Amino acid sequence: MDYKYIEQLLERYWECQTTLEEETILRNFFRQEDVPASLLPYRQLFIEQDEMAEEHLDGDFANKMLRLVGEETPMHVCKARRITVMRRLRPFYRAAGLVAILLTIGNAAHQSFSDDEDIANGEQMAEIIAQDSLQQITIGQPEQQSAELTTQPADTIAALPR
Amino acid sequence: MENISFRTTVLPLSDRLYRLALRITMNKAEAEDVVQDTLLKVWECRDNWNRINNLEAFAIATCRNRAIDVVKRAGRDTENLDEMVHFSSQTPHEQLEAREEISLVRRLMDSLPEVQRTIMLLRDIEGKTYQEIAQTLDISETQVKVYLHRARTKIKEWITNT
Repeated sequence: MDYKYIEQLLERYWECQTTLEEETILRNFFRQEDVPASLLPYRQLFIEQDEMAEEHLDGDFANKMLRLVGEETPMHVCKARRITVMRRLRPFYRAAGLVAILLTIGNAAHQSFSDDEDIANGEQMAEIIAQDSLQQITIGQPEQQSAELTTQPADTIAALPR
Repeated sequence: MENISFRTTVLPLSDRLYRLALRITMNKAEAEDVVQDTLLKVWECRDNWNRINNLEAFAIATCRNRAIDVVKRAGRDTENLDEMVHFSSQTPHEQLEAREEISLVRRLMDSLPEVQRTIMLLRDIEGKTYQEIAQTLDISETQVKVYLHRARTKIKEWITNT
């Protein structure tokens, strides 16, 4: 990787010729771990400056000052704390866990629904078969009756009212 | 001036002033006292704020003067603070341990003459423009660059020679 630009910026930094934006570029460069050996001695300066920029008063100081000037409503104190990568990703893991649970429940419900459908289909088939059978039975009866009628003796037919 | 409150107008300057006072006094308790005095002073003269061009610059200048007064009153030299005032509330053994923990770079920065240290803080830590620094310290921009150049050159020499 070519570090000429950074080296030039650094030279201009020592000469007080850099803009605030260029100094931010330098600071961001030295914040990374992977700094070439030739530039490594200067890294500590920028790291120290970053740390010095984080120095702050205790949270109680603000409340003390507000009491002194008569604006007594206590301030909510937010304490800065370092968050590890694992901790930062915790919401993601939680969300992933929740999705997994929902998927499992969804699958189980789908499976169960499919089973119900099968049962329902089976029942429906049985019903259709039963209806078919009944229909056949009901269709079969008149045929039998008509056959019986056709097989009746001629005198019976003659006896029927016209 | 309407709708001004200590909480929203003056209090947000606390940490910035604290870092400046800390770099001058090298003592946390003294720096906190300096910030408290400065904030009260700024608040007390709120009727005259319309005559002040830049309230933050005014607060920083007030804080710097008070911090220098504190150091002088304690009989310490503002031009050479590094060796004696870092850990004034600690035992010699604690001071030795703490001094070893503080990096060489920070000690080098703290050993700069007060005006160079203050300018370096305002530029490299607080991110102020040369114009803002000049206005705050009531000197020309050229003088700001000269002092900063001296400070950075010393740091560079120390880093490259170690």
